[in-house]
Amino acid sequence: MAILLTRVRSLGVRALLYGLLTFIAVFMMLPFIWMLRTSLMPQGEIFGSPPILISRNMSLDGYHYIVENGVLRSLWNTFFVAFSTTALSLFFCSLGGYGFAKHHFPGRNPLFAFLLATMIIPGAVTMVPTYVIMTKLKWLDTFRPLIVPGVANAFGIFFMRQYISTISDELLDAARIDGCGEFGIFWRIILPICVPGLTSLGLIFFMGAWNNYLGPLIYLRSSEKFTLPLFMMQMTGPPGYSLYREWMGVAVLSVVPLLVIFLFFQRRFTEGITAGAIKG
Amino acid sequence: MARGVVVSATNGKRRELWREIVRRRWAYVFISPFYILFLGFGFLPVIFSVYLSFHKWKGLGPMEFVGLKNFTYLFGIGGKAFWQSIQNGIILFFMYVPIMTFLALVLAVILNSKLVRFFQGYRTMIFAPYVTSMIAAGFTFGLMLQQKGGLFNTFLNMLGLPGVPWLEDIWWARVSLCLLVTWGWLGYNMVIMLAGLQTIPRELTEAALIDGASPVQAFFYITIPLLRPVILFSVILSTMGSFGLFNEVQALTGGGPMRATLTTMVHIYNVAFGNFRFGRASAQGYVYFALIFVFTLLQLRYFGREE
Amino acid sequence: MSHKHILYKMTTMIILGVIAITACGPAATPAAEVVEVTRIVEGETITEYVEVTPTPLPEAEKPTGKIVLWGWTAAIRDTIEAAGIIEDFNAEYPDIEVEIQYYGPSDVYINLPLALTAGEGAPDVCLVENSHLSEYVHLGGLLDLTDMLQPYLDNIVEYKMFDCEKDGKYYCMPWDGGPVVMYYRRDVFEAAGLPTDPAEVSATIATWDDYLAACRTIKEETGNYCFAHNKANNYARLYEMVLWQQGLGYYDPDTGEVTVDSPENIATLEMLGQFWEEDLVSDSLEWTDPWYAELAAMESPIIATLIEASWMDIFMKSWIAPGTGGKWGVAHMPAYEEGGARASNDGGSVFVIPEQTKNPDAAWAFVEFVLGRDRSVLRMFAISGFIPSLKSSYDDALFLAGDSFFAGQNVNSVYADVNAKIPRAGVYGPNYAMMNGSVSVAIQLYATGEMTAEDALREAAAEIRAGLE
Repeated sequence: MAILLTRVRSLGVRALLYGLLTFIAVFMMLPFIWMLRTSLMPQGEIFGSPPILISRNMSLDGYHYIVENGVLRSLWNTFFVAFSTTALSLFFCSLGGYGFAKHHFPGRNPLFAFLLATMIIPGAVTMVPTYVIMTKLKWLDTFRPLIVPGVANAFGIFFMRQYISTISDELLDAARIDGCGEFGIFWRIILPICVPGLTSLGLIFFMGAWNNYLGPLIYLRSSEKFTLPLFMMQMTGPPGYSLYREWMGVAVLSVVPLLVIFLFFQRRFTEGITAGAIKG
Repeated sequence: MARGVVVSATNGKRRELWREIVRRRWAYVFISPFYILFLGFGFLPVIFSVYLSFHKWKGLGPMEFVGLKNFTYLFGIGGKAFWQSIQNGIILFFMYVPIMTFLALVLAVILNSKLVRFFQGYRTMIFAPYVTSMIAAGFTFGLMLQQKGGLFNTFLNMLGLPGVPWLEDIWWARVSLCLLVTWGWLGYNMVIMLAGLQTIPRELTEAALIDGASPVQAFFYITIPLLRPVILFSVILSTMGSFGLFNEVQALTGGGPMRATLTTMVHIYNVAFGNFRFGRASAQGYVYFALIFVFTLLQLRYFGREE
Repeated sequence: MSHKHILYKMTTMIILGVIAITACGPAATPAAEVVEVTRIVEGETITEYVEVTPTPLPEAEKPTGKIVLWGWTAAIRDTIEAAGIIEDFNAEYPDIEVEIQYYGPSDVYINLPLALTAGEGAPDVCLVENSHLSEYVHLGGLLDLTDMLQPYLDNIVEYKMFDCEKDGKYYCMPWDGGPVVMYYRRDVFEAAGLPTDPAEVSATIATWDDYLAACRTIKEETGNYCFAHNKANNYARLYEMVLWQQGLGYYDPDTGEVTVDSPENIATLEMLGQFWEEDLVSDSLEWTDPWYAELAAMESPIIATLIEASWMDIFMKSWIAPGTGGKWGVAHMPAYEEGGARASNDGGSVFVIPEQTKNPDAAWAFVEFVLGRDRSVLRMFAISGFIPSLKSSYDDALFLAGDSFFAGQNVNSVYADVNAKIPRAGVYGPNYAMMNGSVSVAIQLYATGEMTAEDALREAAAEIRAGLE
């Protein structure tokens, strides 16, 4: 593919390409910049004309709201839910993936096909009855409905199965000969080898749980249990005083952790994404 | 006599099977969590949903059997909002999917070529929105698209152009939603295209160029066809996406104005948790499922049949 | 008479007297009290002393425990708490702990019904606006308060109990009402050559036809907008006020029939449409920045009038338009037709107690204290303009005072007067959310020129009828 474009040496076309890339990149970065800038700006200047990027009156005042109004608590809730979901999901999905990848058992193919088929069912169909089930289980206003159902999910198992199937069988046979039990093999051999794949998958899970809004909306009731997306949608201030600055502050708070994680684990992230797409 | 042999042979096979199962029991243990959870939170809800769709229930108190009423409701005037949401899904799909997919492809091609530097930087910046909470992004876009004083209109005014009713007009609201969705998903699609591009061997395009094809021709006749699986994957995901948009709609438009940006997911949520018509919501969930299924099948057919 | 006899008589009389004092009449009634009341005028807080006659204390043993209260900050934090009601409450009920959770109205309307239907997660006391009240009463899950309300029913303004009744039982305790008046800018009226004295304004703009004429004058003479009425995001509030004053609504309260597409409803919408057609109204959406700006403006574009409920005035004084003090007046809203009612309702709120509460006695004690006593409701009225529903409170001095924000006019008496005349109408009701949703879309379609009023409302009505099955 590279070959196509190396023919194009003219400056004009190169400039065009850079231009396009930069334009898109700026468009992508714009909301982040805007979020940050608005969170630091006094109310009156937010909608000024011409739009100001940096103002002399910028301050961290808007962030007081975060300290005073339980936002940090929300942040912790979000982190707790995301972390629990990720840890548990990684465990069970890799377990399932291992089962499908390295064991030949009767019914393996039909069972796996069934698993894949379940991915088609849209959330709209299960939304209401799942809510009713949670009501009966008395799990409302807890984190359980957010964590438990997805703990062993089809996508994760599919992903880990692909990943684990690349591990050489000899390794496993050797371990079996050495007397390692099945679970022991999983825990001591498979998991450590899978760390890169687990990281990729874990990032996807973490991000999904962090940004989940519908789940918390349906299941969480008391404000001290809110996660950040829910908190943002339910933020109120004195009537009519739109808390633009504070909203953006909370938005920044909800976005920054994931961005940091993303920057740190960029490669794994994109690996995880592409693995799902290419081999899918 | 033969029968006896067959019977004992079958019995023999069954015993073999059972022994195999027992021998492989750990595998079943490992894969069981999925099936157990699916039973409780997948299968059971699906069946219950069918049951509910024939009843009228507000979540409290008795359920009233209403037969097919919830379904016929959809085909009367009551279904207006539901069909509007389906229509919106289709409109939104055609509004952003072709552009976004093509753009993702083009960007991937540009980045993949060694022509442009800062590959890492660009890729990071373009991908970053994908990890962002669409609630936070939706709010931010809402601020930027505000008719009086929002960044976009102020900018247009500076260029001497009139402001645009981004969130007050039916079509502009859809455009705004598409802007938000494209912002969030372009990077993701670009990255998977990039990965796909890397699986295309150089020699193919080289050969084509040597044979006298122009770069553009090579792009259209070689690259795209080879990337078809990836493009298809991207398009199918976007399909489910455009009907299932929830966070984006809630944060940016709330479904308005005049239901122009109401997606099916938001609508079903409203019917269930806004109007407390659980039975109706279940019925609509199924109709929605059926439509998506058909739409996806059509796409697979259409894309699968090309030269 | 012998000494014994006299002694006997005196003792009897003393005993009878003691019994009479303790049993008959209010227990432990102190004389009228003077309480300190703070209010916000033109952004400034002023303290006044007001004479208030408290209602008697209930006689039952005092409940204890913890209760959770849900409500929005304007009502709970800035009114109940700011008026010191919680402290007063705890002075009388020291063993009841009140935990407050703030939710905006729309969030209450998400969380409360979910909690009611799920049977868990609801608070002990919840603040609900009248618009959504009937829906929850019919949803189920609210505590029947009929018995506890008996002593108060006669003292409560009638229209407030309409939405909280079902099958002869009551499920709420009313707080404030939403008597609708017409706020107008004296300076704009003067510039337009219209009268500025409230009585004259009320007489001049007596019907909506008069209003239309006045709006044309305002536009011609001053270039300002008459009122704000958004098109694309209209959510039917003004329309509902005009329906209400005619005793109309989305449904007939007696038969339950949907009246969304009745000839009168269509005509009402078309009447409002005239103002759009002649470009006499601003397109700002209420409760957004442009709307605030136009209300607070000192120079064009100014919104010259505002038809809204009485609770609006405290918002205008404190944060929307504090700089326009002295420039406003309050007149009665125009009647739809000659001789029609000049009163309507918009909003108003109540307290409800979900059935699942673990502490109904404490919950009721709180509700009764905050909303059943003149003293409490008057203190809250003084701070936030939430007009009480207790008729006895209207005797208070607060209803005789002039308000400098309104150039010295006694606006409270206007509110009280309107409050007593609000007709019965089928606007709110058990299906308000759905009806309002459909009709809002219809109005938006009509206002933006996509459909005629008749078609839009007929479609909305059909949708509603189908949805009700």
